[in-house]
Amino acid sequence: METSNNLKALFNPEAVAVIGASENPEKLGYHVMKSLTTGGFEGRIIPVNPGSKEIMGIPSSPSLGEFPGSIDLAVVVVPAGVVPRIFEDCEHKAVKGIVLITAGFKEIDDPSGAQQQTALAQIAQRAGISVIGPNTFGMINLHGNLNASFTPEFSLAQKGGLTLVSQSGGISHLLAFMAMRQGVGLSKIVGLGNRLNIDFADILPYLIEDPETEVIALYLEGLDEPKRLMAAASAHRGKKPIVAFKTGNSETGDKASLSHTGSMAGNQEVYEGALRQAGILRVESIQSLLDMARALAICPRPEGPRIAVLTGQAGPGMAACDICEAEGLKISPFKPETQGIINGLLPPLAIRTNPVDMGPAWYDSSSIHGIIEAVMEDSNIDGILLLMMFASANGEAVANIFDLLVEWNQKKPVITCLVSPPGVWDGQVGDLEKAGAIFDLPTPERAAKVMAGLYHYGKLVK
Amino acid sequence: MDILEKALKEGRKTLSEHESKELLRTYDIPVTREIEAADETQALAAIHEIGFPLVIKACAPDLSHKTERGLVRVDIRNEEEAISAFHEIMKEVKDDGATVLVQEMVKGPRELVVGLTRDSQFGPCVMFGLGGIFTEILRDVSFRVAPIEKRDALEMMQEIKARKILEAIRGMPAADLDRLAEILIKVGNIGLEEESIKEIDINPLILWDSQPVAVDALVVLNP
Repeated sequence: METSNNLKALFNPEAVAVIGASENPEKLGYHVMKSLTTGGFEGRIIPVNPGSKEIMGIPSSPSLGEFPGSIDLAVVVVPAGVVPRIFEDCEHKAVKGIVLITAGFKEIDDPSGAQQQTALAQIAQRAGISVIGPNTFGMINLHGNLNASFTPEFSLAQKGGLTLVSQSGGISHLLAFMAMRQGVGLSKIVGLGNRLNIDFADILPYLIEDPETEVIALYLEGLDEPKRLMAAASAHRGKKPIVAFKTGNSETGDKASLSHTGSMAGNQEVYEGALRQAGILRVESIQSLLDMARALAICPRPEGPRIAVLTGQAGPGMAACDICEAEGLKISPFKPETQGIINGLLPPLAIRTNPVDMGPAWYDSSSIHGIIEAVMEDSNIDGILLLMMFASANGEAVANIFDLLVEWNQKKPVITCLVSPPGVWDGQVGDLEKAGAIFDLPTPERAAKVMAGLYHYGKLVK
Repeated sequence: MDILEKALKEGRKTLSEHESKELLRTYDIPVTREIEAADETQALAAIHEIGFPLVIKACAPDLSHKTERGLVRVDIRNEEEAISAFHEIMKEVKDDGATVLVQEMVKGPRELVVGLTRDSQFGPCVMFGLGGIFTEILRDVSFRVAPIEKRDALEMMQEIKARKILEAIRGMPAADLDRLAEILIKVGNIGLEEESIKEIDINPLILWDSQPVAVDALVVLNP
């Protein structure tokens, strides 16, 4: 498992060289240095630049060879033409991993770019060096305080269990910033770029064994060898949740095909099946990728498709029910005992069968408490969607069910949409989430979609 | 595989319906009971062998739009009807070197499709979905990469929007999911074992009560 060992060193280096380090903010080498120095990295940083004695107050080395100690990771930000020589330096220095930020290889129109990349791959292969990139912003290991990217602000993200692996720098930045804004803790952010020798299939086994990664989120565009990814994921099916969002779906089936099957087998359809087959949950949007990755870290999977929709107002319940039905969940009847309890708690005329409109119990939080409690214990229900919009009259509702939810501790998943004016319920909702008692989404549709995703993921890996 | 070798030698792009089904039969995929007939004597023998009600269809490689061209006669209930259908069809297609197929009448409103295609990256892929005239209109299908396991096959059936037609509905029994799964697995295996087969359509695969039967099939060859 050479790759896995290399990756371990790459994500947890003791000494990091920045080749092409710079004091000039107009150079990426400046931003990489800033990321490493301000990110709290506790290992050794060695700026490499033939024209400087020190960079950002750190003594620099004119070349990698002239630095006396050993180097685990080299972050390379020099022009493309110089990279082959740097790779040879890394080989002589027995560097274990390279983050190759430099662009201008396989992604450019000029075929020389692809040729150069192949030549680099040969050196890396010979030297046994794992390479992230080229054409990447870099990678970040938040638990190691290692920011080997050109975006220092990634270090501001909370530490957590979500690892993002992406083929696109833009999507990585977007996802990481969304995660920061939503207070989602991250473990690693990895831009695979042109994937010289570390592709999704190569990094997956490492991340599945990585104790700091709880959930893996992938952003895919197109893969050279998708069956390798399938094999890597299948081999570890169900060990750790993997969620994927894939774009570049426009390729349709072969219209000239003589068979219906051939004409309908578009890129999207085949990828969808292939990812599921490998135990990877496929989602349809960037927002969904983050929602599902978070949910899979916090929530159990519903044992079956039978969902209770408990709603403070009818409309949000309807919106959630529509998504549930479309996504293969069932809004199924309660057991008679449960229904009996609910009937006793709600006034006549209220919609009391699933979905339950708890609106008439606004003034009586103990009724809401009683309904939720009864539904939790109902063996005909596999998961609960709890939706409540704040109103002055139900303002105490969240406080009154707080302990119940904490005590229940999601023995079945509880996905909520508890929405108030800013600051009213947010603190309590945040505390409930921290306690693992709920997973809260800002709209009923997203809440329902997450419940469906949990159910489908559970089936994929059963 | 004799059928395949012969067709490839002749430089053909497809197998005829009958050849396609003969091939599927060797993989234990259930197909309609049918006999090919080139003249009236053979047709008569075939009609007696198959029994009524039956179907008479034109049969030749590269024969498309059979239904639109009036080359499929269903629910034939007596010899007179059968012989006149035979002559009418032969008149239409004799220049194409076609024969007719005398086929048992498989009845059931639930039409499915099972297919095989080759993806440039994934290799052979199996398709399952809603069949008949709805296949291309609704595109309610699901794919997996071969080889597939039983769990994959069962998931494919659950993924289509019309999954409820596999359940016991409107007095019809639930589909034999185990048998359907076997068919899907075998179609994937054909893709892995026979490089010379480019694509397969089994459409419709009709649920005859609970049992799936390939009523029409097309095997497309790799030249």
